Amino acid sequence: MRALAIFLGMLAGTAFAHSAPNSTLRLEFRADAVHAEYWVPVSELAYARAADPAGEEFSAYLLRHFAVETPGGKAWRVTVDRIHEAEYLEHAFMVVELRLVPPADAAPREFVLVDDTVTHEVHNHMVFVVARHGNRADMLGALQYPAKRLVVAPRQTAR
Amino acid sequence: MRTTIAVLIVVAACAVTPAQSAQPSAALCQSPQAPAGAHEVAAELDKLRPLLTDKQRADLDRPLSAASAIRWSNLPIGIVPRSGLRLGDLDDRQAAAARAVFSAALSPCGLAMLDQVRLADDSLVPFDKRPIGWGGGNYYLSVLGDSSSKAPWMLQIGGHHLAYNFTFKGREAGATPLFVGTEPIRFEIRGQQVEPMDAQSHAMSRLAAAIASQPKARLSGTFTDVVKGVVVTDVPGGMPTGGTDTGFPQSYPAGDIDRGIKVSALSPEQRELVRAAIASFAQLPDSAISGALLADYLSPAALDQTYVGFAGSPNLTTQGSYVRVDGPRAWIELVVQRAIAQPDQLHYHALWRDKQSDYGGEVRR
Repeated sequence: MRALAIFLGMLAGTAFAHSAPNSTLRLEFRADAVHAEYWVPVSELAYARAADPAGEEFSAYLLRHFAVETPGGKAWRVTVDRIHEAEYLEHAFMVVELRLVPPADAAPREFVLVDDTVTHEVHNHMVFVVARHGNRADMLGALQYPAKRLVVAPRQTAR
Repeated sequence: MRTTIAVLIVVAACAVTPAQSAQPSAALCQSPQAPAGAHEVAAELDKLRPLLTDKQRADLDRPLSAASAIRWSNLPIGIVPRSGLRLGDLDDRQAAAARAVFSAALSPCGLAMLDQVRLADDSLVPFDKRPIGWGGGNYYLSVLGDSSSKAPWMLQIGGHHLAYNFTFKGREAGATPLFVGTEPIRFEIRGQQVEPMDAQSHAMSRLAAAIASQPKARLSGTFTDVVKGVVVTDVPGGMPTGGTDTGFPQSYPAGDIDRGIKVSALSPEQRELVRAAIASFAQLPDSAISGALLADYLSPAALDQTYVGFAGSPNLTTQGSYVRVDGPRAWIELVVQRAIAQPDQLHYHALWRDKQSDYGGEVRR
């Protein structure tokens, strides 16, 4: 929506602590699905959406740029449960809560993340992928332009 | 015409004018002494240590590990705390001895960069209301590993807008990663203009201007910071911040797409601007540390395989302007960002990495 784009642009101008916050995809591997919390910095998202001005709601934009599939190429079902805003290290973030459900014959473990929500435009931007275990977080990998596919597999100790 | 005048302890030889900075000659950055290698740097450290307290020696000397090596950042210490000997805590004798270490490890231009970047940080202190630790005192000296042994060791000098990471006795000659930034871009002290990154910004700008008319030279996308930047800060249970050493070793662009224009396609005059841009960074360390790297980067074969590209304004006057040199080994990038203390101003970040010998080739994850 145009109003959202204007809002994002305003926030982009007020990011304070430092100029280039990165995204983080925080994953919780559960028995039947993977729950994800995607922290996307508003300042960098504004550049990405300005370069892809389809005029759609953020959730629709996200689902056009974010997907999950099995290593064999079968799509997982991705649904947006909730979107809210938060601040971290003085940067504004859109926090998207996602549910990632594998196809019937696949376990919610290893998958291929396909994502260029911000990186299609902001070429220094990083997407860190971490697995959460209570107060601990394991780094599973990172994406940066031109890459937009990342094999994600929880470490064995994460069980 | 703007001039940059060396002030305080800044070495006059590095106060290059814009006209000079297009082609910084090696002579401008050469030390009057013979090149200093690991032995000379270690000898100066041996003179410093007896002047330190036990606590300061413990701060200075720490084990070399992947985790300690990649612990550098472009963020102030309030966001990314540093370890090491804090320069702002040194008394006069200690400071003089530390300076002898810097002089052994840095060219006159590299030493001037350290001085001027710290002065720039000092100028931010009145704006630091939170505070996040701006200030020239918040720069650190660290030795990772044993500087008296035959094993690899690192010398780190840095703070908010500077990270010198020199590796001695490693698999490779290690002068990188080398990060430098400045906010403000230029400032005045006692009526004299200081511009810490004058040589680097003008060399990169002149290169961008020279190639701007060639469509392949323009990189796609937006750049809000350097691409291969700072390290992660590990916040237990929290989100990682920072950059790409998380996945060390780095992956760099391959192929011919969106890397800029190949130097082999440039005119002799344009090639000379590429050489000047590379040299403006590679001549910051003492030539014993980076001379062989520079020679490698500037060899005809390597230069022909090097790409140069830019985004935004070639004259580096707008936020998001970006210039990059992407060679078989050298990765040098400079980006223009909005200033933090005074958001109506701009500031620079720049990074030199070596695709082969970052951390002396000693850090593998």
